[in-house]
Amino acid sequence: MRRFVFPRAAAAGVAMLLLVPLAAVGSYFQHLLVMWMLFALMAVSLNIIVGYLGELSFGHAAFFGLGAYTSGMLTVFGGVPFWLCLIAAPLVSGAFGLAIGYASLRIKGPQFAILTLGFGAILHSVFLNWVDFTNGPLGITKISPPRIPLLGLEISGGIPYYYLVLFFLLVSAYLCRSLMRSRTGRAFIAVRENDMLATSLGIDVFRYKLLGFVAATMMVGVAGCLYAHYLKVITPGLFTLHYMAPMVIMVIIGGKGTVTGPIVGSLVYVALLEVLRASGSMRMLVFAVLLTLSVIFLPGGLVSLLPFWRGQRGGARQHD
Amino acid sequence: MTEPLLQVNGLTRVFGGLVAADAVDFSVLDGEVVGLIGPNGAGKTTVFNMIAGSLAPTSGSLRFRGEDYVGTPAHRMAQRGIARTFQITSLFPTLSVLDNVKLGTHRHKKTGWWGATVFSAAYRREEQEVDDKANAVLGFLGLSDKGARIAQNLAYGDQRRLEIAIALAAEPVLLLLDEPAAGMNPDEARRLTETIGRIRDTGVSVLLVEHHMRVVMGICDRIIVLNQGNKIAEGTPAVVANDPTVVSVYLGRGATGA
Amino acid sequence: MGAVFFQQLANGLVNGMGYVLIAVGLTLVFGVLRIVNFAHGEFYMLGSFATFFAMSLLGVHYIVAVLMATVVVAGVGVLANQVLFRPLRREHEFTILMVSLGLSLVLANGGELVFGADPKYISSPFADDAVELGSVFLTWQRIIVLVAASVLICLVYLFIRFTRMGKMMQATAQNREGAALSGVNIDWVHTYTFALACGLAAAAGALLGPTAVIFPTIGEWAVLKAFIVVVMGGLGSMGGAVAGGLILGIVEALGANYISIAFKDAIGYGIVVAVLLWRPAGLFAPRQ
Repeated sequence: MRRFVFPRAAAAGVAMLLLVPLAAVGSYFQHLLVMWMLFALMAVSLNIIVGYLGELSFGHAAFFGLGAYTSGMLTVFGGVPFWLCLIAAPLVSGAFGLAIGYASLRIKGPQFAILTLGFGAILHSVFLNWVDFTNGPLGITKISPPRIPLLGLEISGGIPYYYLVLFFLLVSAYLCRSLMRSRTGRAFIAVRENDMLATSLGIDVFRYKLLGFVAATMMVGVAGCLYAHYLKVITPGLFTLHYMAPMVIMVIIGGKGTVTGPIVGSLVYVALLEVLRASGSMRMLVFAVLLTLSVIFLPGGLVSLLPFWRGQRGGARQHD
Repeated sequence: MTEPLLQVNGLTRVFGGLVAADAVDFSVLDGEVVGLIGPNGAGKTTVFNMIAGSLAPTSGSLRFRGEDYVGTPAHRMAQRGIARTFQITSLFPTLSVLDNVKLGTHRHKKTGWWGATVFSAAYRREEQEVDDKANAVLGFLGLSDKGARIAQNLAYGDQRRLEIAIALAAEPVLLLLDEPAAGMNPDEARRLTETIGRIRDTGVSVLLVEHHMRVVMGICDRIIVLNQGNKIAEGTPAVVANDPTVVSVYLGRGATGA
Repeated sequence: MGAVFFQQLANGLVNGMGYVLIAVGLTLVFGVLRIVNFAHGEFYMLGSFATFFAMSLLGVHYIVAVLMATVVVAGVGVLANQVLFRPLRREHEFTILMVSLGLSLVLANGGELVFGADPKYISSPFADDAVELGSVFLTWQRIIVLVAASVLICLVYLFIRFTRMGKMMQATAQNREGAALSGVNIDWVHTYTFALACGLAAAAGALLGPTAVIFPTIGEWAVLKAFIVVVMGGLGSMGGAVAGGLILGIVEALGANYISIAFKDAIGYGIVVAVLLWRPAGLFAPRQ
């Protein structure tokens, strides 16, 4: 009979995440931590599509943007409280994910990447140009931070927001872990590794791809909502490659097909921001070099270097 | 059960100008091993793929357990109890042998993401059943000691056995084997023959396409012979081996892998 | 009404030929090497900048600069193939895709750091004067784009169809193992293909550069247009690239005029999405 096992490594990781803010001195460092959490949540969601299903979606940033805009617009234009936005955002991004996934997931290879890129670019164009609805290039500003209902307290500022996002990150991480320990997750891997064989075993490839796609878009919609209420300003730039490319790289450098990989990859991205404060170009340059080196020399990503993580791939071994 | 397990009627497939299969009729009964043979180009693979659901017939009917199934998607047929192997080795290469076989159990289980998330009793029970079934199947095929090995690192013969293990884990009623003996040495071929016999003994029917005569003659209850898309003979191995048409068209030309 | 239509049609034709010129290289590289080269747009960018610097630093005439840029960037392409793609040719296609993405980001961001992010103007002697053909106004530069692109595409077609190397490229594209077995030097073919593809992209950059401004991240725009065209026409199909490019150019120009100028880019994506949903392999790919 299977017992519920919480491996020591994961426990250590969670403890570390819980305690890190205590070492964060200064509001800038705290800001970096929050950004790390947000990027980590984005990357964990993309990993479901890229890592578990093995599909390369280049439209994922658009679902992030949809979540952010749903939340931002509801709050600023409709006065909707944060907690309702938190529910609305994934519903909207998930609905779009269902529609776009339904249309695209039967198509494979580079055409799928272009198709998702195309859908993402169309959404970007809409949010950029439909000024009456979305404020266009100026974006949505003055998004109010979340308030705890009964206490009337605001969650803004580094440390509290860090824990807020961390909560959702841990929930998402847990969901990914339980996914990969389930029959559904096994089917995802089958679809990724050999979809013809998977079909011959009774697995409805399209349905599982769609399930994973929608789950991922809902998750990144939550990330978008959290992002909007932290930065308080959102622009259509969220829909572009400017966010999409780093997301993909985080997943791959960290280790695709794992839960910890995207978290590590996003840490690297944020760390580069600190280390190379010079310019965005320099940071992307270094990040791109790391991507190239990683894909060639370390296909399992950074997590494959950590000894006790070696068995935890949602790939070579199905469970820890 | 009066109706055969698999009933093939007038099965035809035309590719452009070429009639690859021409009104082929035969049936497979419960608990029997049927071989489909013929020289190269006879249409065996075409017929096999139509039965397996990966190729649409131009005309004709296919009935499984009394129900027509032409046009049913392949994954649905798998859910109804047809399992198949592929001509070119088809595994989940980067997964372990055990994980490969576990994937075969998919159609029989119901729990999924939700069950795993809340750690329900049904989930725990099914996961145990999956473990047990996978280990049992590995034992049945003599692969127990290789459970942790990565599939792509196995020797060729072991990989072919793993393919059958995966298909058996699905607990099929009808097992379709596509040239299972291809590339096997005499030892492995003998072992395969014996394995197919044991599979039949568990009540599973087998339809195999094969060139390897020793295997076909050794295990098939009945043999269907195709030539250029047409069925030219049908019967027990003894009957078919002595059929003059068959001999002249196929066996007489120097059988492969005798 | 008619005058506006013909003007937009002419614009669309010119833009379309530009897109074709960019896209042909991408589809060639896919057809022969089976590589989806995300960095293709950066060779367009390098072509523009090489032209700019040849003129501003070396003082050569625009036409000389274009030729120099084409040759130099073709060389850069060969280098990229030798250093990155050739050693990795046995890797999974996902790895190669990621490497090309990495190369693209390195070139684009490196370009920003080295050239500066501010937009630059290539001062071509042809960019200012316009010609009136009936009711249609076209600058000489745009006419040159149209003519030069057409000539180059024809030359490439003839090259592939009739020269020995061209036939080897065709053979490699159709059946790499077979070609290798019949004595084709695959490495040479790959080198030539890359040189040709990057050279064409660079020429596009050099020719189209003066029609607007150039900046180091323009490769992203270029490769996206190229992808739309190539995917529409069918990966690996030259004829498809020509058709796709012209369709994209014309529909964009007419759409921008009659529907909305703001959504011009969305139109392009809308077309490719529609085509992919209807014919996933592209308009001109052989039916499976």
